[in-house]
Amino acid sequence: MGQIILGVGDYGASNNPGDEVKTFALGSCVSVIFLDPKTRTVGMAHVALPDSTINKNKAADKPGYFADTAIPALLADMAQFGCDKRGKGLIVKLCGGANVMDTNDTFQIGKRNALTIKKILWSYGMGAVAEDLGGNFSRTVAVSVSAGQVTISSPGKPSWQI
Amino acid sequence: MVDKIKQDDLAKIVQSIPMLSASASRLLQLAAQPDHELADVINLVKNDANLTARVLKIVNSAAYGLVTKVTSIERAVSYLGERIVVSVAIDDCSGKLFGKELSGYEAASGDLWKHDLRAAIASREVVTQSGADINPELAFTAGLLHDIGKALISDYLQGSAPEAVELISSQDSLDYLAAEEALIGVDHTVAGYELAKAWQLPDELIQVIRYHHDPAQAGEEVRPLVYAVHLGDNIAMMGGFGTGSDTMRYKLDKSYTDFIHITPNILASIMLTVDTEFQKLEESMLDSGETN
Repeated sequence: MGQIILGVGDYGASNNPGDEVKTFALGSCVSVIFLDPKTRTVGMAHVALPDSTINKNKAADKPGYFADTAIPALLADMAQFGCDKRGKGLIVKLCGGANVMDTNDTFQIGKRNALTIKKILWSYGMGAVAEDLGGNFSRTVAVSVSAGQVTISSPGKPSWQI
Repeated sequence: MVDKIKQDDLAKIVQSIPMLSASASRLLQLAAQPDHELADVINLVKNDANLTARVLKIVNSAAYGLVTKVTSIERAVSYLGERIVVSVAIDDCSGKLFGKELSGYEAASGDLWKHDLRAAIASREVVTQSGADINPELAFTAGLLHDIGKALISDYLQGSAPEAVELISSQDSLDYLAAEEALIGVDHTVAGYELAKAWQLPDELIQVIRYHHDPAQAGEEVRPLVYAVHLGDNIAMMGGFGTGSDTMRYKLDKSYTDFIHITPNILASIMLTVDTEFQKLEESMLDSGETN
């Protein structure tokens, strides 16, 4: 089985049934997962920050890093596998976006990431069918391409699926 | 069920940890002196052949992409900065401790060192990007050392991560620190404090290690520094670099605003810089043959 490991700010897709698309230790970052039932393609982006205007160079270099540039980049990537380039028919799942305990507004990057991603998805007419967002813990996420199953694990907890 | 660590046990654990090298110890003393100069750091490195060799390897590693080879230690230290020298010195003498697999937290070998490096960079960036009146190099060094207590108590926490997580979910423990205390009688800040004293670290560093989750308890003079590392630690965890089961299960002390002014945009910029700087530092240290 092949593993496609995505680091912070990476995005990628696969339609190889043997593959697993995985990202480690989402803190306040959010993993955006697109599943295309038609082409059996799985795509994922590991989004770190909501807004690319703070650093345009970084956004050009690593569009997956910011919510506003990650979603168009991931859709374009998946279009190569025959997926609709406006995301029509894609199933969306979101996870991550945790916050430290007793946080204040400034430090709620997890919440801002999730909210910005949802707003951008809405602009495409897309919405998440399942999400596992927030809380005060780190998540590792793996998606099997064949089953389209999203498995989440976190140290000290049994793994679960969305 | 795990056993409690008694005061005697803690003393024994601390005694079993190797002392810092003379160079590392001297560098940490220097770091806390507000009026020290880079020349002092250079002299210290010059007197340690191993450290000189490592620093030269790092400055010439691919990560820094310098066109001409740097052969003078003066240029190398000026280019890299005091913080990289401190990181290398600590890694050389205590790499085993920092590279330890924190099985009690279900964290892999190397996770603690990565978290510490990220927290160090973040603490320094918190200071520089907010413009707070805190020594940025000292914030880096303090960030590097803040979690040293975890390496001491991790073995005693073996198998306890699910229980610790449950204690917090059920609100029997307010955070992971309280869970550690409930499970083994000692939390990682207390364990780290004992080691910091045995290592005769400067008071500023001792207080960061002891109070990085409760900065309001730190002495008035060091409090701003302790708040900077408190934020740096949280930023490292938010960026996905924690040490396993305790990641993000700590409280943010919102009174940091008394000392440090950070907007959401500044925070985003800090997180971005931490990613970039960490990559460079990690690559250069791997290139130069560190053991973690």
